[in-house]
Amino acid sequence: MKVKAPNGETLDLMTLNLGPSHPATHGTLRLFTAIDGENVVGAVCEMGFLHRGFEKMVEQGTYSQVLPYTDRLNYCSAMINNIAFCKAVEKMFRIEVPERCIVLRVVLMELSRIIDHMVCVCTNLVDLGALTNFWYFFNVREQVYKIWEKLCGARLTNTVTRIGGMYRDTYPGFEQDVTDVLKNIEKAIGEVRGLIEHNKIFIQRTKDICAVSADDAISWGWTGPCLRASGVDRDIRKDEPYYGYENYQFDTVIGTTGDTFDRIMVRIFEMIESISITRQALAKLKPGPVNTADARLSLPPRNQVYHDMEALINSFKLVYDGVRPPAGECYDYVEAANGELGFLITSDGGTNPYRIKVRPPCLTQWAAFGPMLEGHMVADLASALGSINILAGELDR
Amino acid sequence: MIAQIERPALQPGLPAAELEKLLVERFTLVRDPRDQWDLTLIAPSHRIAEIAAFLRDDPRLRFDMLLDISGVDYLSYPNHRGARLAVVYNFKSTVLRHRVRLKIEVEEDALEVPTVSALFRIANWQERETFDQYGIIFVGHPNLKRLLNHHEFVGHPLRKDYPCQKRQKLSVNDPLIDQLEARLTAKGYQVLDRGQENKAAPIAFGVSPAGTSASQGAGGTVTTIDRPYAGSPAAQAQAQTPSAGNEGKQA
Repeated sequence: MKVKAPNGETLDLMTLNLGPSHPATHGTLRLFTAIDGENVVGAVCEMGFLHRGFEKMVEQGTYSQVLPYTDRLNYCSAMINNIAFCKAVEKMFRIEVPERCIVLRVVLMELSRIIDHMVCVCTNLVDLGALTNFWYFFNVREQVYKIWEKLCGARLTNTVTRIGGMYRDTYPGFEQDVTDVLKNIEKAIGEVRGLIEHNKIFIQRTKDICAVSADDAISWGWTGPCLRASGVDRDIRKDEPYYGYENYQFDTVIGTTGDTFDRIMVRIFEMIESISITRQALAKLKPGPVNTADARLSLPPRNQVYHDMEALINSFKLVYDGVRPPAGECYDYVEAANGELGFLITSDGGTNPYRIKVRPPCLTQWAAFGPMLEGHMVADLASALGSINILAGELDR
Repeated sequence: MIAQIERPALQPGLPAAELEKLLVERFTLVRDPRDQWDLTLIAPSHRIAEIAAFLRDDPRLRFDMLLDISGVDYLSYPNHRGARLAVVYNFKSTVLRHRVRLKIEVEEDALEVPTVSALFRIANWQERETFDQYGIIFVGHPNLKRLLNHHEFVGHPLRKDYPCQKRQKLSVNDPLIDQLEARLTAKGYQVLDRGQENKAAPIAFGVSPAGTSASQGAGGTVTTIDRPYAGSPAAQAQAQTPSAGNEGKQA
């Protein structure tokens, strides 16, 4: 396409389409760019290729039936989605889950955050040609999936929580497994840091690439690691603590310039903080019930169901109708691996959710991607795209 | 380089009661009785841009982040009185520790709502999504195109009267060239020739006034998308006053 540049020069731009199926997009995303030689002059993004109508589907079933769908939002850290959704419904009931459940959820969330950041960082590095890091991280990620498998039978899409508690308590030896895997994670992070931190090629490929200023990031609605990479010190775990995060010792990791380097490094150092939180949480994990005793949410014990009429009815109603949150509209959020994951639930007092709106953290990053890319080179496209960690499952819902 | 810095203390925000008092006095808003957990205020829809600007800029509030815009359809909500549709704006501050949600009610036969895309960059896409799912028309939006659904899709799927099993045949990809050209123009480039590979006729994106199936072709109300639905009073009002928000401001 022929254009006249602002400086009066006539340019012959090439239009280049990337995606929706392209290895560098790690999903189904489409980008349409106008390039001048190697430089991106204009870029626009399209989404919706993985749109499956999550918000319409969830209106058809009960609250418990929403849970497996939430797994498919951010499938790299499915447990955080499960927990976020259950936490939102529990907020509607105004109940607190038991202490053991809270601590267990913290352990699962932090481990999920670690493996989510791992996928983001190492696939990002693969896009830059650094394949070795991929094996280091996927090796330990596999060990975490082994724990998930032992915990609930599923690896990727866990559905590990229930509204009012957990699917079940941990297996014997869970603490030991997590302790062991944390050591391996620490080692893997050390190895990856050794490979990239002072690596000239890595630094040249990522430093000052696609930098986003703090003001821009806020106006784009960024949350999570990408916002912190731009130097904004916001973390829901610190600012509006839930699940006792105020009792854990950890630092918020922030970047300075908000370039690709910062976004990768913030994730790496956040993993280290998450390891520390997981260790502290494991030390707090005391025996006890994992499900709330509230009869509106939890199934009664089996022996009661067989001998007690009320318990039998309760069990029936919970299995067939599920939970019935009070009518109203409630928003609840957690700090997911990618940023603020929120659920705005509208309930009409019935068994099915009237409306659930997901606030997907990566939509804001994908919306900003086109403008962010302009002025940089085509080769930076892949590394910048990896660093904002777009997950099509969550983006398109 | 890693450095440990002292975290500047996050300012406590206004308590919900004070926040409510301030906004209710300033804009005569009403607290939404449906939200028993946090603070949601019902705002008059024509003042939403003004209220959003106040929320963002007032030093006591500083709601500088628009987390989400979401629609709700109350068609089958039990004992619901009032407008059929609503739009919820979810605000958060990155300076002060407080949050608020604004809700505007939208009647089915008056779907026009002023855009806030000139105030928050992300609103551009969030409004596109709300338009896509509920057919709410954001007046002054620079590019009110569908976001999640295919551009040939007819209807607004999250409305309660859209059948969940309905299927539609969608064929042609969105060429995106119109968006790219708008983007280049906003950056000061002048497009002289679209080029051989982009010669295909641009797709005219239709906005249906009431979200009925008459999206494209039928009724002759297809307009290009930079303008709101041509027949609406809001569009005529807007034709007199040029819109404030466009993507050029964001470059």
